[in-house]
Amino acid sequence: MSATPPAGERSFVLLRLTTQRFALPAETVIELVVPGSLQSFPHTDPLLLGVLVRRGQVVPVADVAQIVAGPGAQNRKFYLIATRHFGAAREWCAIPVMGDCELISAAPQARDEGAPAYITGAVHLGQEQVPILDLDSVFAARIAEDSPAEVRV
Amino acid sequence: MSPADTKPKAIRRALRSEQVIVFTVASQRFAIAVDAVQEIRSADSLAGAATELVQTKLKKVRHKIERNGRTYYVVHAGLHFGLPVTRPSLVLVLRKARACALVDRIEQMVEVAVVRSLPRAFVGEERRWYRGLALMGDSVIPVVSPSGFLTAGEISLLDSVRAEMAAAAAAEAEGVSAP
Repeated sequence: MSATPPAGERSFVLLRLTTQRFALPAETVIELVVPGSLQSFPHTDPLLLGVLVRRGQVVPVADVAQIVAGPGAQNRKFYLIATRHFGAAREWCAIPVMGDCELISAAPQARDEGAPAYITGAVHLGQEQVPILDLDSVFAARIAEDSPAEVRV
Repeated sequence: MSPADTKPKAIRRALRSEQVIVFTVASQRFAIAVDAVQEIRSADSLAGAATELVQTKLKKVRHKIERNGRTYYVVHAGLHFGLPVTRPSLVLVLRKARACALVDRIEQMVEVAVVRSLPRAFVGEERRWYRGLALMGDSVIPVVSPSGFLTAGEISLLDSVRAEMAAAAAAEAEGVSAP
């Protein structure tokens, strides 16, 4: 997903995880897909719901809302596929979202002091301040606060 | 381009494809390479040959069996994978591993075109449990790693339990035979 925004502006995809919206840099977003069949198998990561098969790739589905928006997120029936980085390697990751995603151009503002490390700034849309998410940092935050492993299916 | 890439598609597919056994544990499907399995026996048929291991540290292993001069630890696959407890009916005796796996049933033997790497997002014990993921139609099935059923530490623990049991049995036998 790419566009050429005016100078000083960047493209973001707005996604709704709960009542709150978040912004992801558009260059990290691959596509928004309607639900396919989520496949699950035993594993130990509470953030991972399973995998999807998309364009011949096995794409892990991560419920990042647990970290950034807290529990109780419902009705997230679509998957936003974005890129995660593992050193030099990249891998797709699907995030359950509510569906009403938008592509915008905006000048990113600095992050608030005290904001979690995975919030890298914000975009202002009228009265609404939408936090910009750094997906890789969300997972890093999760690893830092992880509790002992428990098997999930 | 690697040498394999210069071969016709059908040959490339044949080179990468492999036969797997699809088995279930608590309704969850898993696959294991046919080459990794030495034999498949009914759990009942091994009942007489299995010796109970007296230990509580590793709940997934309750028995050992001796086959062809080797000791195998019998791993309850449901407990290993954290699945609901079922009553397994089959034992997979594994090659190149010290474990046998108790599973519910065999679903099929099938050729898979390619076993894909487990996505890097999976970072826990599952990296040891699975060699990768197989795509079968619309399904994604984890391909288990035979060596993933028991860690080196777990084998060491079980070996010491076995040695203690053997020593206790020998001491008892000595006590019985002493005048």
